[in-house]
Amino acid sequence: MTLFIQQLFDGLALGGVYCLAAIGLTLVFGVLRIPNLAHGTLYMLGAYVTYFFLVTVGVPYVAAIGLAAVVLAVIGVLLERLVFHPLRNAPHTHHMIAAVGAMFFFQAVAQALWGADFRRMESPISGNVTILGAQVSWQRIVIVVTAVLVLGLLTWFIKRSIHGQTIEAIEQDRTGSSLVGISPSRVSMLTFGLAAALATVAAGLVAPINLLSPTMGDALSLKVFAIIILGGLGSLPGAIVGGFTLALAEVMTSTYVSAAAGEGIAFVVIVIVLAIRPTGLFAKAVQR
Amino acid sequence: MTTNVSPQRLGTLLVALALLLAPLALTGQDYVLRVLTVGATYAIAVYGMNMILGLTGQLSLAHGGFFGIGVYLVGLLTTDYDWAFWPALLVAVVGTTVVGYVAGVVALRTREEYFAIFTMAMGFIIFLVISRWESVTHAHSGVSGVKYPESLGLLDFSDPMLMYYLVLLFLLGAGYVTYAVRRSGVGRTLIAIRTSEDLARSVGVNVGLNKQLAFAASSTFAGLGGGLFAAVQGFVGPSAASVDLTFEMLMFILVGGMGTVMGPVVGTFLVLFLFEFFQDFEAYRFIVVGPIIVALVIFAPRGIVGYLNAFAGHRRSRGPAGGNETGNRSENRVPDTTTEAKETL
Amino acid sequence: MAPTRIRSGTAVAAVCTGLLLATSACGGAGGSGSDTIVIGYSGPLSGGAAAYGQNIQDGLQLAIDDLNERGVTVDGEEYQVELASLDDQYAPNTAATNAQRLAEQDDAAVIYVPHAGGIQAAQELNSNRTEFLLGAYSSDPKIVEQGNELTMMIPPSFKSYVAPFVDKLTQDGESRLGLLGTASEYGQEWTKLVTDEWRGRGGQVLSDNSIDYGTVSDFAGPVSRTLAENPDVIFLGGPSQPTAVIIEEARRQGYDGSFLLMDQAKFEEMEEFTDPENLNDAIGVKPVRAYDDPGTDDILDLYAEKVTEEQPLTSEVTLNYQSVAIVVEAMQQAGSIDDATAIRDAIPDAIGEVDDHFHVSGFPTEITDAGHLRNADLEVAYRTPEGEYEHLPIEQPDE
Repeated sequence: MTLFIQQLFDGLALGGVYCLAAIGLTLVFGVLRIPNLAHGTLYMLGAYVTYFFLVTVGVPYVAAIGLAAVVLAVIGVLLERLVFHPLRNAPHTHHMIAAVGAMFFFQAVAQALWGADFRRMESPISGNVTILGAQVSWQRIVIVVTAVLVLGLLTWFIKRSIHGQTIEAIEQDRTGSSLVGISPSRVSMLTFGLAAALATVAAGLVAPINLLSPTMGDALSLKVFAIIILGGLGSLPGAIVGGFTLALAEVMTSTYVSAAAGEGIAFVVIVIVLAIRPTGLFAKAVQR
Repeated sequence: MTTNVSPQRLGTLLVALALLLAPLALTGQDYVLRVLTVGATYAIAVYGMNMILGLTGQLSLAHGGFFGIGVYLVGLLTTDYDWAFWPALLVAVVGTTVVGYVAGVVALRTREEYFAIFTMAMGFIIFLVISRWESVTHAHSGVSGVKYPESLGLLDFSDPMLMYYLVLLFLLGAGYVTYAVRRSGVGRTLIAIRTSEDLARSVGVNVGLNKQLAFAASSTFAGLGGGLFAAVQGFVGPSAASVDLTFEMLMFILVGGMGTVMGPVVGTFLVLFLFEFFQDFEAYRFIVVGPIIVALVIFAPRGIVGYLNAFAGHRRSRGPAGGNETGNRSENRVPDTTTEAKETL
Repeated sequence: MAPTRIRSGTAVAAVCTGLLLATSACGGAGGSGSDTIVIGYSGPLSGGAAAYGQNIQDGLQLAIDDLNERGVTVDGEEYQVELASLDDQYAPNTAATNAQRLAEQDDAAVIYVPHAGGIQAAQELNSNRTEFLLGAYSSDPKIVEQGNELTMMIPPSFKSYVAPFVDKLTQDGESRLGLLGTASEYGQEWTKLVTDEWRGRGGQVLSDNSIDYGTVSDFAGPVSRTLAENPDVIFLGGPSQPTAVIIEEARRQGYDGSFLLMDQAKFEEMEEFTDPENLNDAIGVKPVRAYDDPGTDDILDLYAEKVTEEQPLTSEVTLNYQSVAIVVEAMQQAGSIDDATAIRDAIPDAIGEVDDHFHVSGFPTEITDAGHLRNADLEVAYRTPEGEYEHLPIEQPDE
């Protein structure tokens, strides 16, 4: 039973990470219809920039994450301007290849700047808490709490603020939004910046429990796609439910079936879900 | 251009000649020959991708996985089960076709991005099975000692040059099939599906069945390429089935030109040599290669062959009316992917 | 329409230039000067294993610099030694292509490959037509079991570690072994060997929780699964840094048993990544700094000066460093810089002739007929529960 509780908490922490990484992607993919395969490398860059501020510059942990999020938002906007904006009328095949090109570039740059070797980032939050016999580290609790907070803020931003509402407007009706004076270009930049910043927050939180390396985003990239497909494109609640579901499925499968099955479960879930419901679990009417 | 030889024909002829004569110019350069041979096995698989993506417009990301199934069928059958190469290759081709057909039944229920992600997941599952099912595939240890094709008469395929010509022969076959399909009613049907599934359905095309067949055919090519790849390499590991490979192939076809007959060959060899060339920069090469890929996608989205075709077509339409126009005018109006020239090369 | 046309035109021009460059690259790069010896290297210089690939490259480069400083004379002629490196991202097939390129275009008679898959792929080549001596840096014994005559296996075989490791950690009747190795070719072979050895002694092997160290986002899950079965000893290991993080996680969750470490993980690197106390009661390979060979101090300084001060020097660097000195000495003995077979045949004599400067971490005392460089006095390191290192001599199995 302790094992189950332990795995439940491990799964929740992992779910928090997945959610934070997934919402950025679901915004970009769902709103702009761009399957950004480079999302994982933005996450990786976010981790390194946080590391830079925390270790090299020496600012406090939370400030380091904040500064890194700003830097990454700029990189996200640049990525949109230089790569995806020129491709706005191209089919998704071209987006995917362009994203792969960007991925190659970012990884090589990270390796050139920080080296190929692993880096460790210490977080000021340390220690454990025992919950129902399970050992849970404070860092993991912070991950879950931050995930919930950020998701709440984001929902508020999209529903209530002017800038956020433009995102939702574009998602719902592109032509209509342009008619009422919303600039798709602006929204595009906003979405990319936001997505990159969110990925950075995820990375800054996870880095202390794992390691930094130029390839740290690779594995996450594919899983995050699984999550947003599971949740339905562009759906925030979907991404949240998807993130936690997938993390728990992964942890529990590894525990009660085998580690290899745990690695593959994300993809088995996609295949099963799409085989039954070809447009995802929480599909909305999608504009073409 | 006042001759009857169209630029496209000339180009095709040149590429074919270059490939045929390459080994003679490269005596003693087994390394370049190796890159060419491996490239040709990839190019065969890329023809498969061309069938489902270029002609039918469905982005299948399971292609590297199907290639891997071909690789491992030949690899395992000729070593652990001591089969001869030719029956193993036959099983690899038939096997991947069947797997492709069955997978297509489910996969093709989904559309567009969902189809891409679905097939990517499938590709990843294939990779996981190959890289973790130790008792059958030897997982990460790989398979060594894959047999060369048994000699046919006087032809001994352990000679790299003959192996190259053998692969080239299959490549030629793949190119011809693509050419024939494009000219046939089947090709027009597939292109109609690519243009608009709903429209195709409304004029009575059996969209489901045709997509199904295109998908199966695409995995046939992947299996064939994979089977030959195993024999060329002699040793194969799970990286021959990885998702990265799918994206590499996608890059080949995009650079070459989707939906064209020559695109897969041109794209594959060009990108592979680009990769080899930039090897000298070691780890830093991707700082250059990455932006080149992005630039190609942005500035030459139809691929090199697509671009040259359009260029040639454009010139001809202003000059004396060119010979055999096979029609397909409708596709020229597709704002979407590749606007091919009128001739189907 | 016009602007698009112009842009496409530029793009095609760019592509054509690329094509030209590519063709000229394959045509013209061949042949290095007559007074250079080229040592080839194909390893992961980018991608997930890039750090590992760079360690090997550093070892090779350090040796080459030292050799050049001392001067290399083969058959009365002076030579400069050069390293030609290519990136294979750990893919076997790319490694084979690279090896062929290095052999043919750079005229490298000796080519290093640091991963078992790439080594096997390259063996398919040098057993057929392209002749080169393969500097095989992998402790997987399989690479010399296939009878390839031009392979030189550099590190000790991991087979030699398993029995003594298990001996040491079962002294107090420990009987339950947890498995938490990395899911790579290497980890998989190790896991198999440890499992067999442990079972052979009547111990109980718990469920296999091998995970890919490179792709897991949070190690807490796999660790708690392993701990739930109450192991006395945990087998683990992969690259040092994630291994250290996993050990830390296990200690955090309250594990106080022993660790049996795969040879890929190095104590000196793990100490940098986690509180060294977490590593107490663990057995693994001996740190380089613990050797007192004639050249050990020099190479420690040299590494800090020329490569990095941020990371400790490990045997990944030094074993390759030593082997380059052996290979170049063998060229001198054989009187040839390009006859791979002659160079291989000269290695037994060359081993005794290498300058003491290159004896840094258990310099080989012999090369087996199968091509394995071995040191007769191989030792391993056990870190006691008090945090002291004990060095234990071990027997190496016959090959």
